[in-house]
This record gives sequence, C-alpha cells and structure tokens, in this order.
Amino acid sequence: MPPAFALKRKAALTLAILLACGPARAQEAAQAQEVPPVPPIFSINGFGTVGVAHSSERRADFVATDLQRKGAGYSNDWSPYVDSRVGMQLNARFTPDLTGVAQVVSEQRYDGSFAPQVEWANVKYNITPDFSMRAGRIVLPSFLLSDARKVGYSSPWVRTPAEVYNLVPITNSDGIDFSYRQQFGNARNTIQASVGQGSAKAPPDNDITGKRGWGVFDTLEYGNTTFHVSYFRTRLTIEGTQDLEAMARLYGGSAGAALADKYGATDKPFEFYGVGASYETSRWFLMGEYGLINPHSAYGKRVGGYISSGYRIGQVTPYVTYAFADVKSNTSDPGMPLPPAWYPTYSTIAAMNARLNSVLSSAPVQQTYSTGLRWDAYKNVAVKFQFDHSRLGDNSYGMLNNRQSGYVRGGSYNLISATIDFQF
Amino acid sequence: MLMAAACQFAMAQDVVLVVSRKCSVSSLTQEQVADIFLGKTSTFPNGASVIPIDQQEGTGEREAFYHHFIGKTEAQVRTYWSKIVFTGKGYPPIEVVPPERVKRVIRDNPNYIGYIKRRDVDASVKVVVVLHP
Repeated sequence: MPPAFALKRKAALTLAILLACGPARAQEAAQAQEVPPVPPIFSINGFGTVGVAHSSERRADFVATDLQRKGAGYSNDWSPYVDSRVGMQLNARFTPDLTGVAQVVSEQRYDGSFAPQVEWANVKYNITPDFSMRAGRIVLPSFLLSDARKVGYSSPWVRTPAEVYNLVPITNSDGIDFSYRQQFGNARNTIQASVGQGSAKAPPDNDITGKRGWGVFDTLEYGNTTFHVSYFRTRLTIEGTQDLEAMARLYGGSAGAALADKYGATDKPFEFYGVGASYETSRWFLMGEYGLINPHSAYGKRVGGYISSGYRIGQVTPYVTYAFADVKSNTSDPGMPLPPAWYPTYSTIAAMNARLNSVLSSAPVQQTYSTGLRWDAYKNVAVKFQFDHSRLGDNSYGMLNNRQSGYVRGGSYNLISATIDFQF
Repeated sequence: MLMAAACQFAMAQDVVLVVSRKCSVSSLTQEQVADIFLGKTSTFPNGASVIPIDQQEGTGEREAFYHHFIGKTEAQVRTYWSKIVFTGKGYPPIEVVPPERVKRVIRDNPNYIGYIKRRDVDASVKVVVVLHP
C-alpha cells in the first residue's frame, strides 16, 4: 500500500469513527457509549541500579566502561561507583504517530562525577505504520541490547559483557534515523539506517568525537529467535595522542610522518561490524554476540564476543557467560629510528616510541567466565549477584584502569558484584 | 476471600480473547495475538487498526492470559516493556479496570481487543478463536 494512500485511509477511518460515535450517542441515550481510556500525552518513567563491586586486583580499578574514572580494586574495596546509576525519561505522545522521548542518566563519568547527561532526546514520526523516522539524539543500535543497555532491570546480567559492549565508546548519535519494518510470513525484519555525529569523554579529560557517521542495522525476529547485524562508520578523533602525532611529523621526517598517518587518531575512519543472536523462551535464554572494530589508529583492530545462557526457576534465573576480547593488529612497533645517543632529540624520540607502544599495547586481551543469578524479588525490582573470573593476555591489562605502580600485566582477577535494579 | 483466591487461579480455558461484535476478526494465531499485545503490530491481519487493552496487573485474568497466549510470565512481560519503553519505541497496552468496563469498551469500539473470564462472556462481545501452532 503506498504511504499516501495509507495516510488517507487512516484519516478516513478516524472520521468514520467520529461520525459513527456522534449519532450513536444521541440515539442510545439510555445506553451510554463506553469511551476507551486515552493514554496521557506526557508520562514519566525512571530506572536505576544500586550496586557494589569488589575486585581481587588491588593495584588497578575494575570499571564498567572505559569512560569511568575509578572503580573497584584500588580506589574502593567495595565500589558503589561501577554499576550504580539512575535515569529519568519523559515520554510524549502528541498523536499516535508523533511521539517524543527524552532520557537523562546520572552515572559515574570520566571525572568521577555523576553529572546527569542527556542520553537521548528525539521525536519519532510514523510515516506509515511500518516506516518511521526519528530526529534528535538517538541511541546507536550497534548491539543486540544497545537500546536498553543502561536499564539494568531489562537485562539478565549485572552488566552487559564489556568485551563486546565497550568496543564502541559512543552510544548515541545526534542526527536522524529511519526504520522500516517488513513481515515475511512469520518473520519480521526491521532495517534501520542512521546518520549523525556523537561524542564521549574518557578519563582523564579526553574527548572522543565521531563525525559524519552513518550506520545500517538489521534485526530479524522469528518466533523466539532474534538476529541482529550492524555496520557503523564514523570519522573518529580520540584526544590524547595528538601531541605525539605532531611531534612525529616535526622530528621524524618521512618515517615520522608515516607513523603519524598510520597510528594517528585524528579524524580517522572508525568501522564497526557486529552480529548477534538470541533465543528466549519463558524458561530459558541463549544469546551471543561478536563485534569487530577497526579504528585505523594506534588503538588497534579489536574483536570481542560472548555467549550466555540462563534458566528460569520460579522468580530466580541463574546464568553463565563466557566472553573474550582480542586484538588483531600489532601491539608493538619499533617506532621512529633512534638517533645516536648523544644527539639532542634522542631522549624525546625514545620517549615518543615508548608512548606509542603503550597505546598499541592498551588493546584489551582477556577472557572472562561469569556466573550469576537474577532474582525478580518484587514487582519492578530485580536483585542480582555475579561472579567473574577474568584472565588477561600476557602483555595486557585487559579493561583495568587507574593502574598503580607495582601493577603487573597479565595474570587474572576475580570480581564479585551485587546489584538491585528498579524501574518505575 | 475464597472467591478472590479462586480468581487468582483462573486457568487458560477460563480466559478468552474478545473483540466487539462489530469487528470482523473472528480468529487469530497465537503469534498474531502476541504481536498485538507486545506492540509489534498496530493492525489486525486484515489491515484494520487494533488497540489492545490489559487488565490490571496481579489479576488472575492477566496472569493466565500472558502465560497461555503469549508464553511469558508477568515479570518477563515487565522486562520486555522495560526494553521498549526506555527507548521510546512504544508503550504497553492501556489498563482498563474493572473487568466489566473492559467488556463495555470492547463492545463499543471495534478496534479494541482484550481478554476476560469465559464465564463473563455475554452477547455484547465476540470470542476470538486462537489458533495454536
């Protein structure tokens, strides 16, 4: 059905209902028409998590995302700052086809503060029942659970597996997206396309900026099974190594310029490829995702994946998860050729090479085995416990940050987490 | 008290899906019912628009309906809507109370669909046959 015709049809239907209601009410005065309840134009929903985490590694911090300043381990024995957050959402239904949403989230940020941030703020218009458009700040649906990633209540785990979900630091995009839904027999396919720009801030105070971004995301639902495929691309600038780039060009001649081009993180194409699938019945679930990023910079081509399964027994759902993160590009480089030791730039170039190698080796290599349970304790309240055992690659510190002197790369650590998720 | 307790244990065969007698729909597959109540479609298979209505949470009707027609517990339904609502993708069905009003809303509005106890069915509404796969 062409869109214009669908719209006309809808208008005609509304008119018909209105016309039908008028005389009916007059004629049947004795039997009043029951008017259905109308949902309010504005409504407010909220969600949040109160949690603590404890890590066995005391010389570094476990953090839930790369964007948090401090976590469990060094900063706090039992850290409430890793998983705790609160979000408020304002929903607006102007008409059945024109809706809006604004969500503000307070969680630990790059500076350790909980300053609230606008996670999304957009309006959605249904051009036809199956074709819609959104404009404003919109979630970037890179992953299977991107949409509700911050709503702990909606997921079976304490937190989404960092090995996959931390691959893409930017979670929302300021721009527009289109969504088109199609039915093929019993299968429903939704394809989404988005364009926009986004940003994030990483500790200590580094801007991560994505410009001229676009992506295509496809979700196929068939019975209890959901498949998700995504491709996303943006021009990414990661603040923090720009001085290194400039110095390499200044001191390094053509070799330095080549290194700056290869490893620089200024306006570089960042690509993400993701696939995921889930199977969920009222008894159990099985899901997995795999993602690959290529930032075309020193931050390295990385991959991550997880597989998780849980089984519901009454109000309790125990689960197990295996996750891994790996790097597919070089984690070291000889860097710029060193001049003789007496030369004035020797120490500068040696220091630059060391910094380049520290960035190259920052890509996490780790495997995590997790087990936990979700208990639907009350209406709109879920209590969760989780135990994680992470094994790090020989020369990797995985996703630990705030590393102190005496911290040794590699090895393993354990993490215990407890959270209470709620929504209202 | 006993009556209330008995309501809590309403079995599947005791809860039926109903539409207005003015509505041309007389049967739906279990999947179509799930799509309507989970907000995945806004139309009946014949193209007419459809608006689902829920009974109050904690009622035997609601629990039995979601268990037997959708295959989800109430906690799972809440988790599902949590994902949808917090992304602005949609809203759960409106709640109508009491059950007598559910019947009146459906009787007078051919685009609405709801569920009631089988013993509450009368000439004002039409029972929709749900085809199981």
